[in-house]
Amino acid sequence: MNALVLLAGQQSGGQIEKITRTFGVDWSHLLAQIISFCIVCALLYRWAYRPILRVLAERRKQIAQGLANTEKIKAELARTEAHRQEVMLRANVQATSIIEEAHAAAARVQQQETQKAIAAAEQIILKAREAATQDYEQMLAELKHEVGRLVVQTTATVAGKVLTAEDQRRLAEETAKQLPS
Amino acid sequence: MDEGRVRQVVQLLIEGRHRGYLALLSGFQRLVRLDRQAHTARVETAVPLPPDLLASVQARLAGAYGTGISMQFAVLPALIGGMRIRVGSDVYDGSVQSELAALEKSF
Repeated sequence: MNALVLLAGQQSGGQIEKITRTFGVDWSHLLAQIISFCIVCALLYRWAYRPILRVLAERRKQIAQGLANTEKIKAELARTEAHRQEVMLRANVQATSIIEEAHAAAARVQQQETQKAIAAAEQIILKAREAATQDYEQMLAELKHEVGRLVVQTTATVAGKVLTAEDQRRLAEETAKQLPS
Repeated sequence: MDEGRVRQVVQLLIEGRHRGYLALLSGFQRLVRLDRQAHTARVETAVPLPPDLLASVQARLAGAYGTGISMQFAVLPALIGGMRIRVGSDVYDGSVQSELAALEKSF
């Protein structure tokens, strides 16, 4: 087995040597370039790749945190919405209650005002009736007085003409009878 | 009231000239006037009284207030009918005017 490997190595070494001669490979330069390349890779890894990875990790962390914050915000928003709904519901109930109370108060006030208006109207009607009665009585009294005056005037005018001598005598005798004996 | 005695009282008051004699004279005058009114009958009628009725009224007044009463008779057509007699503060009013006034007052 080992002999085969060595043989293959000799054969392949020959081929490699042939290739290197064909492409002009300089092993010392190649080795130096490899070392330089490794150094460059190490430097890049140390000063460029790791900070970039770190930045990317931080960015990923920030994104994750942002997503988490978004979830939190969504949850908070949902809670806020629920709270808002609850507040709105409470406010709606309270507003309904206040409106009902306002309606009741308005009805009470309306009833009170109606009662007041009715009382005032009754008072006005009563006063008007009293005034009308008073006016009627005053007119009646004035009418009676006027009728009496006219009756007296007419009677005085007529009586002076219709009283005969006998009437005058009889009236005088009646007065004379009032004198104490 | 005796007229001579009244004159005598007035004469004494004037001659004496006591303090406040003017007030006394005034009061005495008022008393004399009241007494004269109390002894004076004023008879008012709408038409003149017939003689017999006049005599009857005089007799009644003399019987009621004494023979010393003086009488004044007057005709007032405003009375319309009847008679009104006033003796001092006593009034006997049977006139149609007073009846009508009472009637008017009742209205």
